Amino acid sequence: MGKDLVQTAEKIISVRGLAKRFGSKQIWNDLNLDVQRGEILAVVGGSGQGKSVLLRVITGLVEPDAGSIQIFGRDVSKLSPEETVDMESRWGVLFQDGALFSSLTVLQNIQVPMREHLDLPQVIMDELAFLKLAMVGLRPEAAHNYPSELSGGMRKRAGLARALSLDPEIVFLDEPTAGLDPIGASEFDNLIRKLQQTLGLTVYMVTHDLDSIFTVCDRVAVLADQTVVRTGAPEELRKNPDHPWIRDYFCGERARAATA
Amino acid sequence: MLKRDQGVVLPTSVRVPGFRVELEGTVFRLEATGSWTVHEAANLDSALKRLQVPIPPTPDFTGEVDVSSIAELDTAGAWLLQRTADRWRTKGLATTFSGATRDFAILIEEVERRSEQERPQTKSEGGFSRFLVDASRTMSGVWQDARMLTAFLGAVTDTFGRIIMQPSRFRMLSFIHHVDHAGLRAVAIISLICLLIGAVVMQQAAVQLQAFGAEIFSVNMLGILALREVGVLLTAIMVAGRSASAFTAEIGSMKMREEIDAMRTLGIDPMETLVAPRILALIVALPLLTFIGDMMCLVGGGMMAIAYLGLDIATYVDVLHSVVDFRHFMAGMVKAPFAALIIGLVGCLEGLKVEGSADSLGFHVTSAVVKAIFLVIVFDAIFAMFLSAIGI
Repeated sequence: MGKDLVQTAEKIISVRGLAKRFGSKQIWNDLNLDVQRGEILAVVGGSGQGKSVLLRVITGLVEPDAGSIQIFGRDVSKLSPEETVDMESRWGVLFQDGALFSSLTVLQNIQVPMREHLDLPQVIMDELAFLKLAMVGLRPEAAHNYPSELSGGMRKRAGLARALSLDPEIVFLDEPTAGLDPIGASEFDNLIRKLQQTLGLTVYMVTHDLDSIFTVCDRVAVLADQTVVRTGAPEELRKNPDHPWIRDYFCGERARAATA
Repeated sequence: MLKRDQGVVLPTSVRVPGFRVELEGTVFRLEATGSWTVHEAANLDSALKRLQVPIPPTPDFTGEVDVSSIAELDTAGAWLLQRTADRWRTKGLATTFSGATRDFAILIEEVERRSEQERPQTKSEGGFSRFLVDASRTMSGVWQDARMLTAFLGAVTDTFGRIIMQPSRFRMLSFIHHVDHAGLRAVAIISLICLLIGAVVMQQAAVQLQAFGAEIFSVNMLGILALREVGVLLTAIMVAGRSASAFTAEIGSMKMREEIDAMRTLGIDPMETLVAPRILALIVALPLLTFIGDMMCLVGGGMMAIAYLGLDIATYVDVLHSVVDFRHFMAGMVKAPFAALIIGLVGCLEGLKVEGSADSLGFHVTSAVVKAIFLVIVFDAIFAMFLSAIGI
């Protein structure tokens, strides 16, 4: 999935005219966003701009007030329940702290989507789960641990393994590097890049982490003023910010450190 | 999932998974076709299992897995191909992959590398040994609990000692807050429950004793039972349910958010600020609630006596007066502060045992209520035996 493909590739997610309000607070108004197949897109924005809410709206957890969302070229609001389930097995979501089921071991957690959507023999599920575990860089010994016995970084990796359980086409990552130390965070960045290349994934990630943005992301979408104000390659936004928030974010002290 | 042609929708005929095995010269070729994804994995797996592993007649025979006709490939498919190739190799057939696009090759190689890792054996213990391990763990847990509770009683006593020496260290505001929450706000529910149970006991006793024409003795029974046991026990159980859980939840959530550690670093003793006022508040509130509970039991019984036995209020009071002694009343009341101490100790200790997670908070709240009620009933039984042994 080289960058050369991105230009010509199809829009895998297409959001049009999205609006959402919580109480008296208008989160977005007429928000548009496209995600191309095979790219790693970072969604950034100040707190309260609804980055995580946008992820939840796209994955169908929160209803928008207005607007349409097309994934794989289909309008998600017009799907039958069966089609929705089918659609959901084509993407995976990694929540902030992994959101692993606490009563199941790591291996069982990874097998949950297989059990729900497919009818596979236990031996194959075990083998595939161990394979996924290895692919996200966890030791096989971690397989029989419960989520509470894992560190934060390991929980995220296990959560990613569960999100990848059915080899989805899109993965949504909610602040994948938040709460990780810099070494752990950069390992996680590399992991995302590696998996994206091996599995041909499209990655949609909500992040604050400038290091992640500059090392792994192909494109950045900036949420501000109730809409997506800019999208573009991280370098492009840094060189040509033309929005006060983007200037503060991409040209601040930390951004300089991240690009140095 | 990787597709051979990005963005091209596959005709349904190509999606059917499958493979062919043929011998070409000295090469066994497995030609995989269609869709090799996790959705087809079960079918592919059973088909591959039926496939006989070719046995090379001479060592110069080789194997080849041809993936050039695969339309879709994902981790599961790559793993199945990999496994087949491995099986062939163990039969002495040098097997290679052919026809992979760059994307397919990356995936197949990654899967090959990752599946070489060793698997840990699942720890499987027999039913009986697991039972023994569980039993020993439970028993040592009971022993640990007893030790911790005793140590905590010591620490609380020490704190009370310090407060008596320096009364200015006593947190009056917190104490009053907890008397209000654990005491005053429990009055309504405890009154109601005691009223109802008093009435029920009276009614049941009357029905049974009527057979002997001795229904008037049901007043004796209720009077003594209510004052000695029912009033204090019901009150203590209600307070254990309300306040032990509240104490654990309050202290536990502070522990979870490291507030207790923060207090310690600021030189504030959590025993003094959190534990002592709560336990003292219960020791004050529970006897008062018990008194209310006792009275409501008698009122409930009285109502039933009037309705069922046709007594008037004056007679009911007279009969009560002639049978119930101050010692009966005291035998009940004396237990209240001890029950309060137990409930307070268990509630606060469980709160302090909470660790970082919400799971742990929930677990300790439940365990506080269960332990507090259990211990209150055990102590009540010990008291009952002791008091009747010394003739009170």
